[in-house]
Amino acid sequence: MATRNRTTIFRKYRDALKSVRVSSPSMPSTSGSGGPVIEMSSLLQSKHPYAPLSTDDSDSHARNALTVGLPPAWVDVSEEVSANIQRAKVKMAELMKAHAKALMPSFGDGRDDQRLIEVLTHEITDLMRKSEKRLQNLSASGLSEDSNVRKNVQRSLATDLQKLSVEFRKKQSTYLKRLQQQKEGQDGVDLEMNLNGEKSRLEDDEFSDIVWFVSTVYKFLIALNLGFSEHQMAKLKKSEHFTAEREREIRQVVESVNELAQIMKDLSVLVIDQGTIVDRIDYNIQTVAASVEEGYKQLQKAERSQKQGAMVTCATVLVIMCCVMLVLLILKSIFF
Amino acid sequence: MVLVSAVRDYINRMLQDISGMKVLILDSHTVSIVSVAYSQSELLQKEVFLVELVDSISMSKEPMSHLKAVYFLRPTSENIQQMRRQLSSPRFGEYHLFFSNLLKDTQIHILADSDEHEIVQQLQEFYADFVALDAYHFSLNIPSNHLYMLPVVVDPPSLQRFCDRVVDGLAAVFLALKRRPMIRYQRTSDIAKRIAQETAKLMYQQESGLFDFRRMEVAPLLLVIDRRDDPVTPLLNQWTYQAMVHELIGIQDNKVDLRNVGKVPKDQQEVVLSSEQDAFFKANMYENFGDIGMNIKQMVDEFQQVTKSNQNIQTIEDMAKFVDNYPEYRKMHGNVSKHVALITEMSKIVEERKLMLVSETEQELACNGGQGAAFEAVTNLLNDESVSDIDRLRLVMLYALRYEKESPVQLMQLFNKLASRSAKYKPGLVQFLLKQAGVDKRTGDLYGNRDLLNIARNMARGLKGVENVYTQHQPLLSQTMESIIKGRVRDVDYPFVGNHFQQGRPQDVVIFIVGGTTYEEARSVALLNATNPGIRFILGGSAVLNSRRFLKDLEEAQRIARSTANVQKLST
Repeated sequence: MATRNRTTIFRKYRDALKSVRVSSPSMPSTSGSGGPVIEMSSLLQSKHPYAPLSTDDSDSHARNALTVGLPPAWVDVSEEVSANIQRAKVKMAELMKAHAKALMPSFGDGRDDQRLIEVLTHEITDLMRKSEKRLQNLSASGLSEDSNVRKNVQRSLATDLQKLSVEFRKKQSTYLKRLQQQKEGQDGVDLEMNLNGEKSRLEDDEFSDIVWFVSTVYKFLIALNLGFSEHQMAKLKKSEHFTAEREREIRQVVESVNELAQIMKDLSVLVIDQGTIVDRIDYNIQTVAASVEEGYKQLQKAERSQKQGAMVTCATVLVIMCCVMLVLLILKSIFF
Repeated sequence: MVLVSAVRDYINRMLQDISGMKVLILDSHTVSIVSVAYSQSELLQKEVFLVELVDSISMSKEPMSHLKAVYFLRPTSENIQQMRRQLSSPRFGEYHLFFSNLLKDTQIHILADSDEHEIVQQLQEFYADFVALDAYHFSLNIPSNHLYMLPVVVDPPSLQRFCDRVVDGLAAVFLALKRRPMIRYQRTSDIAKRIAQETAKLMYQQESGLFDFRRMEVAPLLLVIDRRDDPVTPLLNQWTYQAMVHELIGIQDNKVDLRNVGKVPKDQQEVVLSSEQDAFFKANMYENFGDIGMNIKQMVDEFQQVTKSNQNIQTIEDMAKFVDNYPEYRKMHGNVSKHVALITEMSKIVEERKLMLVSETEQELACNGGQGAAFEAVTNLLNDESVSDIDRLRLVMLYALRYEKESPVQLMQLFNKLASRSAKYKPGLVQFLLKQAGVDKRTGDLYGNRDLLNIARNMARGLKGVENVYTQHQPLLSQTMESIIKGRVRDVDYPFVGNHFQQGRPQDVVIFIVGGTTYEEARSVALLNATNPGIRFILGGSAVLNSRRFLKDLEEAQRIARSTANVQKLST
């Protein structure tokens, strides 16, 4: 892994040559355009305080006109998308904390936690959807180098976004699973308490199925309006209410999972599969070259066919005109 | 992952310190060098959003000042001229120049002179000047590989270019490994001697400061040998996975082009066979054909199970799981169909050309004695209609190499038969091969029949019997490597350049074959490295040969040799 840095010696040569060039400006330089360019750069230098777009002012090099220019508009889009991805990442970290907190057993009803999770989930999904929409805008038609750059920027952002959404979905589904487990447990425990309040809680997992069965029967019994004490009814209502809330939450999470799946599907078109031929650098260069050539051929063909088309229509019109004239001539000779 | 990781490290270092959006500009050589070690998606991660060739980048004039240009080129004079033109009218915001080998002072001068806009940020030499096909196997991808067979007088400038490229490549390998080797060469080969001497001159005289690394206890070894010392290995049919794919279909820079063989779906027309990215290939590249068939079947079974579990989607959870695993599933799907397609194609070819039959005789010719039986077998195969022309030619060549001195009469009979059977056969090609690589030219004991020890070893092997008739051939290289391990390489056959001598067992050995390596040899190097932890062999060559390429080089050399002979005759 040895390397050798030749920058210093290069700079030395460059400075030496520059001093030669400056001391004798009339001397013709090796690259024909030397003279005017020097003028231009000196012009630019004098204007320097007004040049609004020089990104590194500390650089006192004489920059020529080409290097000072606005980057194309899509750069803003790509920056926006990457900023969004960053923000989504931060939000994800927050969400993780909220998830952990919500799953912890607490005395309060945890409604604040729920709301926070809801908001965060919504925000993240929103950010991703927005980024994905913006990403679609990045794509360009045509075969120029610029469109290639855009395509590649799009790909790389899509890969980032996909990674993020996979991670997000994984988090969501684990949360969902835990929540569902808790819900089952909660139901079981509540009803169990209702049914045999004096008995100690059953901790064993094996019983949860039985408990669930019992709870269904129990609900069925309520539906049949069998008599229960007021106290028991109130408790049941409360548990029902609680369950409904949890259900709503679960539905929400499922919805966002589905939404993400859609985003994922859209993105997968853009993302490169690793280890395939598409991931080869030389293959990409070849295909670009081939497609440029192909495009050129198509253009030529189009031009040819266009020319041909014009000629053919011209000829047909002339032939038709000839026929009409001939008919007129015959008619004239017959009638007059 | 010695060679590949060295190249990867170079590329990483090139790209990591330059922030922002970048364009990577390569030339036709460095494209291969970068492609085998790095992938497009990794480049995207490093914010490289455009990769272009140096000659196509100059076609467009549209300024892209928001991009920073990273050039990675070989320091050829054409590239320097290209750079000069591009620096005089810059298109990119910054220019970072990396060259893959030693720059001459004059070249730096030219670059400095053309950089009037002072837009070049850095100029560095990063010595990734070899195509790292595998951890221990590199190639220099020299297009005019036939030149090594020609005598110096035929085309001195081309031969000089050939030698320079090899010396550059060897210098880069040792710079990347941070070593300065002792150099030995095969005495009977002029080209090997020349390359060895020029390399030594570069490392010990011209650039001795650059090569002055921390001394090892025992200096590493560079052994330069000639392909013509073992002409048998590139002529044999291969039955291990990687070698077989190269022999029957062809591998170029770890890529296989399937467009010309049979019907393949569009996304499988070109496939990648890289041990870096494909775990199945890594595990099976040195396995023989039968075992791969079994392993592929196992892989397909596994894949079927995954597919089944994917079809069985009933709950939302299943769905979520499926979507999570989908990218992996797709990757697996691509991989399975790639290997299945390759194996199917190859078994078709094996069937068509009766390669089982042909290869048995080939191996017999390469490994065991028995002239009468061999003659009969070769004659029968020459008469067989379904044996292809190239296989006939190879059989006669193998017979000629083996029984050159023993039976000139029978050899003549075979020549005549070959000429009458194969319409495309160019007369005199076998004789040319004998002139190039006949028994008088060879140093190593190719057939193990020169000294008593080898004869005894061969007999012992014959008594033990062989496991697989088709893979019994061991390349001459494995014998050479064994004698290096045991420290028994003879100074008479493989002399040192300069006043060096063997002090002990070297830890790093680079063996360079002028004229090209084969994947069979790469396999024996890899297997030997796996079983001998104290020593590390690296194999390199001017190209990677299969029989087609070897015969093409031979034909080309014969053509040139003949035309120059005619010119000389005319001029006298």
